[in-house]
Amino acid sequence: MRYEQHYAWSILLRLFHWSFALSIVVLVVTGFYIHFPWTNTLIEGETSFPVATMRYIHFIAGFVFTGAILARLYLLVFGNKQERFWDFLPVTPRNISNMFHTAKLYLYFTEEHRPRIGHNVLAGIIYIITFIMALIQMLAGFYMLYPESAAWQKWGLFFLGSQQQGRHLHFLIMWYFIIFAVAHIYIVIWNDIKTREGLISSIFNGTKYISSDNP
Amino acid sequence: MSRHDFGKECSVKVNRRTFIKGCTMAAAAMGLSEAMVPKLVEAAASDQRPPVIWLHFQECTGCTETLLRASHPDIGRLILDIISLDYHETVMAAAGHQAEEVLQETINKYQGKFICVVEGGIPTKDDGIYCKIAGRTAMDILADVAPKSMAVIAIGTCATFGGIQAADPNPTGAVGVRDLVKGTPVINISGCPPNPISFLGTVLHLLTFGKPPRTDALGRPLFAYGRKIHDQCERRAHFDEGRFAEQFGDEGHKQGYCLYKVGCKGPGTFANCPAVRFNDVGSWPVGQGHGCIGCTEPQFWDTMTPFYERLPGVDMPWGDGIVTGANSAGIKILGVTAAAVGIHAAVGIGKKIIGCGRCNTSSEDQE
Ligand code: HEM
Ligand code: HEM
Ligand code: SF4
Repeated sequence: MRYEQHYAWSILLRLFHWSFALSIVVLVVTGFYIHFPWTNTLIEGETSFPVATMRYIHFIAGFVFTGAILARLYLLVFGNKQERFWDFLPVTPRNISNMFHTAKLYLYFTEEHRPRIGHNVLAGIIYIITFIMALIQMLAGFYMLYPESAAWQKWGLFFLGSQQQGRHLHFLIMWYFIIFAVAHIYIVIWNDIKTREGLISSIFNGTKYISSDNP
Repeated sequence: MSRHDFGKECSVKVNRRTFIKGCTMAAAAMGLSEAMVPKLVEAAASDQRPPVIWLHFQECTGCTETLLRASHPDIGRLILDIISLDYHETVMAAAGHQAEEVLQETINKYQGKFICVVEGGIPTKDDGIYCKIAGRTAMDILADVAPKSMAVIAIGTCATFGGIQAADPNPTGAVGVRDLVKGTPVINISGCPPNPISFLGTVLHLLTFGKPPRTDALGRPLFAYGRKIHDQCERRAHFDEGRFAEQFGDEGHKQGYCLYKVGCKGPGTFANCPAVRFNDVGSWPVGQGHGCIGCTEPQFWDTMTPFYERLPGVDMPWGDGIVTGANSAGIKILGVTAAAVGIHAAVGIGKKIIGCGRCNTSSEDQE
């Protein structure tokens, strides 16, 4: 079987992926700490500020996360062919059939793999949901970060409700990201083993290997 | 007790000194400069000051009580002195038909010039029959009085957001004033009960400037509700340094550490309690060792409970709507995901082992 090398992911997309993924790891760890600061500083007058420090790291990572998601929104429209949203949403007959086919493949109903340079459509749908979740998470985060700002207050109240409701949602969406990460990393490895297209390395170097036998 | 004190205790009117003191306190709470105090005093002492109609709906009279029973009687008296209270069911002498006449008279005589204060939620279900006064529903009375006033002050969380009767499942369809009154300015002094100073400041602002103070998106005056409890709290240093009461009565609690872990809702609540405090003795809930319950926020009975936990539980859609902790809900779903991943991988490996012969040839093909 012969494989052809295809350039799939631009540098900006790969930068997005890793700043997004790493910032989420940091945000989950620090977010958990903010939710339940399990340490208890016993000595008074110490110069350690564990909660303040964790919040500070959370906010820095929050800004990285925000930058990443904004870059991805730009790429959704202005990126290369694979990065635009209509390439991986079920909006064309070809994509709809790919969605059903991928579902069958993941359920082991078929062994036939139909290569694509970009995302398969099932993954694409989940990624779009993830971007929407990221936007809500970002809004809730800034709503809590700038409670005295009239602008954030207006948006926050409209979409999320009171500060407490925003916090609750922020906390629940954290679980979405944890669960997404587990499923995502598993399915990426699974695909990498199954298809031998160099899927994982593509998110580092941008290129995938597609078998030239079935275009 | 000296003669002077005795006279002060007995008089219904406050003396000038107390009067100015009260106006100064309110000016400070509103963040106005000292130079404004004479203006406030002038407006509050004017004969042309607007009369006040105080409507009581679904409420417990706790808001009135806090105003009247401030430990130091000055504030309560001051309020009664500054506003000319024409109709207030709890404190007025008139009763029955006489009271209703006073109400109608004031509305007609001072149309567009009086201040309407509302205490309590307004039931709207079944045409609002769940709260009636003198044969009229609260909805009717509000629709009659509010549009004729210069401004409505909703006092307390019931009047602002519906309060406890609007808590899930809200059997009477209770709502706050802002949901019903359109076209007339509504100022929300939320809290269960709110601080008398916030009310006083709002009234003085209306009297002096003829317009409501600046408010946040929920209609609460920024001078009182512009900042979170958590950002003004005296225990904040303990929060930042990670010193917490783990449970009530433990060593950390005795030391006055932060109440975050025992459910303090200060991080989600806007109010001036830590700055203005209550009862003229400098006390407020967190100062007393009890976490903030978030009483100034919309739907706080639903969103701030359980009061001793950080976040409310999650309503599970399946079953009978089981409520579980947000954390355990997340852990359960994560567990299901992990199990799904495990089964998926096992099926894949299983298929590989069973279909070994076929696999080998096909993978040889690939190489
Ligand atoms: C995937 C992304 C994120 C995750 C998983 C996450 C997680 C969390 C968690 C679990 C909490 C504690 C909630 C609680 O129990 O009260 C929290 C608080 C917070 N987060 Fe995030 N967060 C994320 C993104 C962001 C972003 C983008 C911002 C914006 C800068 C942000 C700002 C905040 C703020 C301001 C708080 C409140 C901290 C406090 O008041 O002490 N977060 N986050
Ligand atoms: C070791 C960790 C990870 C590896 C090896 C990895 C690998 C990959 C690969 C190979 C793709 C492309 C898959 C495809 O074409 O469908 C991808 C896409 C993606 N990954 Fe990851 N990933 C990792 C961690 C994460 C984490 C922690 C997150 C966020 C929680 C994440 C979020 C995403 C998103 C949103 C995409 C879609 C890319 C886009 O089109 O914008 N990844 N990842
Ligand atoms: S006691 Fe409550 S308001 Fe005060 S610092 Fe702790 S969490 Fe914040």
